[in-house]
Amino acid sequence: MKWIASKAGFDEVFRRPSAPRSHYAALISILESFTLDDVARRERLQRLALMNQGITFTVYGEKDGLERIFPFDFVPRIIPAGEWKLLQDGLVQRITALNLFLLDIYGEQKCLRDKVIPAELVFSRREYKRELRGVIPPRKIFTHVVGTDIIRDGEGRYLVLEDNCRVPSGVSYVLENRTLLNRVFPEFFASYPVRPINDYPSLLLETLLHAAPRASQSPVTVVLSPGIHNSAYFEHSFLAREMGVPLVEGRDLLVEGNRLFMRRTHGKRQVDVIYRRVDDEFLDPLTFRRDSMLGVPGLLNVYREGNVVLANAPGSGVADDKSVYAFMPALVKYYLDEEPLLPQVPTYLGFRKDDLRHMLEHADTLVIKTTGDAGGYGMLMGPFTAKKDIDAYLTGMRKNPGNYIAQPLVDLSSHPTHIDGRFEPRRIDLRPFILYGDRIRVLPGGLTRVALRAGSYVVNSSQGGGSKDTWVLAAREP
Amino acid sequence: MILSRVADGLYWMGRYLERAENTARLLLVTEETSTEVFGLDEELARAEWRDLAEILPGPALPERATRQVSGLTAATLQAVAFSPAHPNSVYFSLKRARDNARTVREALTIEVFVNLNETYQDLEAQAGRRLNDTPAFRSALGAAHRGILSTVGAIEHTLSHDPGWLFLRLGESIERLYRAATVLRIKLPALLAPEPKVDLPLLHTRWRALLRGLSSLENFRQTSGARLEPLEVLHFLLFDPHAPRSLRYGANAVKDVLDRLSAAGHPSAPARLIGRLAAELTYRSDEVIQRGEYLTFLESVLDGVTKTHEAVSTLYFGT
Repeated sequence: MKWIASKAGFDEVFRRPSAPRSHYAALISILESFTLDDVARRERLQRLALMNQGITFTVYGEKDGLERIFPFDFVPRIIPAGEWKLLQDGLVQRITALNLFLLDIYGEQKCLRDKVIPAELVFSRREYKRELRGVIPPRKIFTHVVGTDIIRDGEGRYLVLEDNCRVPSGVSYVLENRTLLNRVFPEFFASYPVRPINDYPSLLLETLLHAAPRASQSPVTVVLSPGIHNSAYFEHSFLAREMGVPLVEGRDLLVEGNRLFMRRTHGKRQVDVIYRRVDDEFLDPLTFRRDSMLGVPGLLNVYREGNVVLANAPGSGVADDKSVYAFMPALVKYYLDEEPLLPQVPTYLGFRKDDLRHMLEHADTLVIKTTGDAGGYGMLMGPFTAKKDIDAYLTGMRKNPGNYIAQPLVDLSSHPTHIDGRFEPRRIDLRPFILYGDRIRVLPGGLTRVALRAGSYVVNSSQGGGSKDTWVLAAREP
Repeated sequence: MILSRVADGLYWMGRYLERAENTARLLLVTEETSTEVFGLDEELARAEWRDLAEILPGPALPERATRQVSGLTAATLQAVAFSPAHPNSVYFSLKRARDNARTVREALTIEVFVNLNETYQDLEAQAGRRLNDTPAFRSALGAAHRGILSTVGAIEHTLSHDPGWLFLRLGESIERLYRAATVLRIKLPALLAPEPKVDLPLLHTRWRALLRGLSSLENFRQTSGARLEPLEVLHFLLFDPHAPRSLRYGANAVKDVLDRLSAAGHPSAPARLIGRLAAELTYRSDEVIQRGEYLTFLESVLDGVTKTHEAVSTLYFGT
């Protein structure tokens, strides 16, 4: 077996070349006991299992209906109990603050009066929905499901890169990766106290039921999907199946008498809770985009009346806006009177004149992003981009600087990844999933995404990323 | 009860799965029969394929293709089995079955989906290959046929027999009845035509092929013995109460599902339509045989099935 340590950034596995960190030593020695042929054979099994089970996603802009496997790397990422404790506490704190922030800006707006965050900035966010001011969801929970993106800097410190408060995806791969790894490399598991994750669907259902309107005795929950052409359709179907609830599309639902129903073969049935995997803009053509075919006319009125719960609440997206992100440490202090437990990446705002000047002058050293986009779209990686392309990007930015932010390039941590018979370092990130029901729970695991191209920083599945099983270890009894 | 869209998806999954199975079986039987008789009676071998083309209409096939397999070009075999462009190919039907399964996957068990998906993936790989010879063709198509049957087995034995399953069964039984009636409608005129000089062994081969094409050969032998008396075969394929591909059994299978979907004692519109057809097939057999009105009768069966399908769509799927 050939192992190559990373040259830049934090190496998750090796303290120095051929000296693994203690929590990786057992894994390395198990892997060393395999021949390359064994490994190749196991990898073929793995590929076949993914194809046969239809664990695929669709890439936009490619030939219609093209299904791809989300590449899976079998070398698991291991997080010791102590590190996880820090992440978990930090995430609970952050999600608490995010929800207090949403409650505030859709309610009293104290943080704007106290100038913790500029009102013009909040109001100019596309994801801030004026029409929902005063509409407070049951239990004051806005974000029932969050997937927070975490990276590690050169010293191995965990940093929050992004909060995904709208329709974070990937949790189905977290669960499927575990099943797959167990099937293909069962030998790995014997030496590690890996915390189980397969109760996620039942916790998700509990979370959704907890949010149900009070009046409803046995609430009916559904998963709302844009349909089979959506890139995350597999996940929508997976979660509906795992929770044992119907998977619906907009055309399956109708509004009558300010209540929501689904169309069934033998009459209609009222729906109480929607785990929606459709963006705000497409939820209701009467309120948001009129050309939306994915939504349900009148849905937002039913929601305003409190006759249906939407998870996550519409309008929550403003909390994960990339420029609102810059204010998160201040918002944590403001609402909780605590220091943030998890640090984040310093951020320049195109919204501020001084920051904008810095961004224009130092674009070649920065990562610049548009505030409303996700999936690695609309991003400039300054250090790796030709001057003329940077200039073209900046021309676009000058037209609407408020929609841009910039961050220094953080050299993500690297993890050995099996590439053509060798174990090469590849950059990774981590997306834990956090549920907000009767309390805030962090799934002990998460989606570790890996940039499969050598030297790449981009881990998104739409742009050549893969994923790994992510192990959170149980604290051993002293 | 279930979502109308999901019921619709399950219904069509059932129909396409049954269609794929029927097509695979018919192709295997036709290929074998025509290979067998080609040297003896080339015209008959070609007639078998013409019948098949009528049963499974599709784009005109490239006649000038290169390789002769059993009096037929390899291209034709490949097209009707594996072509994505042929709307009645096994591949096309199986793809539609899988597309529908993907849209209702949450209503299926993992066994059903994985069996169907594996069969589809294998067939898709096959679609991209070139056939070397007839045994290779038989082997590939035979594997697909077995994969479909194991999917059907998973549907029967792993799915809860709830309304979703009933809609799968409804699609399957409507398709089966329609296909069987179509095969009979196209094959019977030639088989029943009084021919000037009848080569008896050859006629036997053709009736045998008809029975095999409707997977009824063994079943027929058990009720009537190995001697294939045309009128007995005909009576069996139309009116046998137990054989799963007889028309009478098929209509009663559809009726059974539609009765179970109706409120007790109140048959729905499609249940009434298929009920009348099932009654005709159950009680009018002697009359039809005596008068020799097979073709008119088969037309009325096809018409009844079509109307039942339309009534199902209107009532349950809102389409």
